[in-house]
Amino acid sequence: MAIRFEKVSHIYSDGTPYRYVALSDVDLELKEGKMTAIIGQTGSGKSTLVQHLNALLLPTAGKLTVLDKVIEAGGEHKGLKELRGKVGLVFQFPEYQLFEETVLKDIAFGPKNFGVSEQDALKQAKEAMKMVGLGKEYEERSPLELSGGQKRRVAIAGILAMDPKVLVLDEPTAGLDPAGTKSMMELFRKLNREYGKTVLIVTHDMEQVFGYCDEVVVIENGRVRTHETVREFFRDSSACKAMGVLPPDVITLKEMLIAKGFQVPEDVMDTDTLAKVIAKQVKHHG
Amino acid sequence: MGNFTLGRYIPLDSPIHRMDPRAKISAMLVVLIAIFFPAGWIGYGIIFAVVASVIVTARLSFRYILRSMKPMMFMMVFLLVINSLVMKTGTPLFTLGSFTLYSDAILQTLYIVVRLLLMIMITTCLTATTKPLDMTLGIEDLLKPFEKIHVPSHEIAMLISIALRFIPDLIDETNRIIKAQESRGVDLKEGKFSERIMAILSLVVPLFVSAFQRAEDLANAMEARGYAPGEKRTRYKVLKMETRDHLLLAGAFLLLGTMIWLAYFR
Repeated sequence: MAIRFEKVSHIYSDGTPYRYVALSDVDLELKEGKMTAIIGQTGSGKSTLVQHLNALLLPTAGKLTVLDKVIEAGGEHKGLKELRGKVGLVFQFPEYQLFEETVLKDIAFGPKNFGVSEQDALKQAKEAMKMVGLGKEYEERSPLELSGGQKRRVAIAGILAMDPKVLVLDEPTAGLDPAGTKSMMELFRKLNREYGKTVLIVTHDMEQVFGYCDEVVVIENGRVRTHETVREFFRDSSACKAMGVLPPDVITLKEMLIAKGFQVPEDVMDTDTLAKVIAKQVKHHG
Repeated sequence: MGNFTLGRYIPLDSPIHRMDPRAKISAMLVVLIAIFFPAGWIGYGIIFAVVASVIVTARLSFRYILRSMKPMMFMMVFLLVINSLVMKTGTPLFTLGSFTLYSDAILQTLYIVVRLLLMIMITTCLTATTKPLDMTLGIEDLLKPFEKIHVPSHEIAMLISIALRFIPDLIDETNRIIKAQESRGVDLKEGKFSERIMAILSLVVPLFVSAFQRAEDLANAMEARGYAPGEKRTRYKVLKMETRDHLLLAGAFLLLGTMIWLAYFR
């Protein structure tokens, strides 16, 4: 069991006029090794939820289990730092956290904080650079003079160098161009499939959810509204429409075809199979 | 940083809130000067009574003012320590080994504490009842006469209003960067000295970078909308002094006069 929320609530500024309930009675189980998308409108509590995963925020009520660490509301907590090394959290626009003189040093900063020796930290940093696709020539450059996309790679490498078991990303592709977005999403898939990391992505882009993730968690008004597999979630466009977001193109196309009288089985979800199904029916008529 | 009360505007509706910012700023300056006359405890008593009545009229709570005193606590303790080590006049109160505490040390500290308390009360009266924007308008107008000696009054006012505008943003940004670095294992509360230096560096550098970035963005946005410093500009909001504003000023000068009389002519 990787992550389990049991009746977790989080209230900001409790006991003041600014009291704000961000999460209420969240029950959620996330299995190890999956790639899960967390979606929901702005202000629905997604960011609050993910900040619980590495104990940046502690629950005001309920119980939370992350890996083998149990965090209960109101309890005394030690070893939270250790948890932060196991659950790597990449914030939105992470490029703003870079500060070292060189890219390599900045990436090695995380592991060094967790007590890894200088030498090993540099080794891990070099590996992380390879993972995110930054060549050796970047090692000695200043992270502050890189382009936006490269900075973000450095920042993500800084988290990967800590070798976390769980990787949590808050809108990791916001503000990147389509090519950058694609290579970033492919990187996360590789980390999930090849390196066996549990990946959680907060996103607004249904194509990313549809194309890369295994499961979907929908957060609404601080509660978990749905938690199902991607195939279940996209069996038709109703779930997307209920949230007011654009469904993936393939799903839209499929529904348009069905509306025109084509017979399309419910489990067809990719362009190739869809094309074959349609081709058969067109030939049949012709 | 949620309990950051010093200098924050409190949106209420009261006669003080509605007053002209120029009158309020000038009155504050006059009363601040009045505090520095050695008018003794009677003088401070009068100032306290006047300021307290202003606070009541402005519908501010004394709890709020006391809370904004909190950051000063450390300074007051520090003053007491310094004074008790340096002051060797007055009657000795008690002796501890080779150290003797004299009454003047306590008295001097108390004087400074009361002055500080009054100053904070007065400045809070101003900042809590005046919108930052009105404040800058007021400052700009009050600096106008100095333009003859090349004081750029409009630029100074613009500078202040921009600085005020960015305080909440920078606080948010700082909290964000703290969280991001904590996720990378930075421990701001514990750790060896060298580790803590590194931890602070990991906050300060990104904060500077983003502050400069913001400044540049804002400068571009202002230029794109045709802002040119030093050029004549008209104003959306025109300030106007009314009877109550003149009364406030007269009251402030009366207070100053009383303090001078108490200090030198009695």
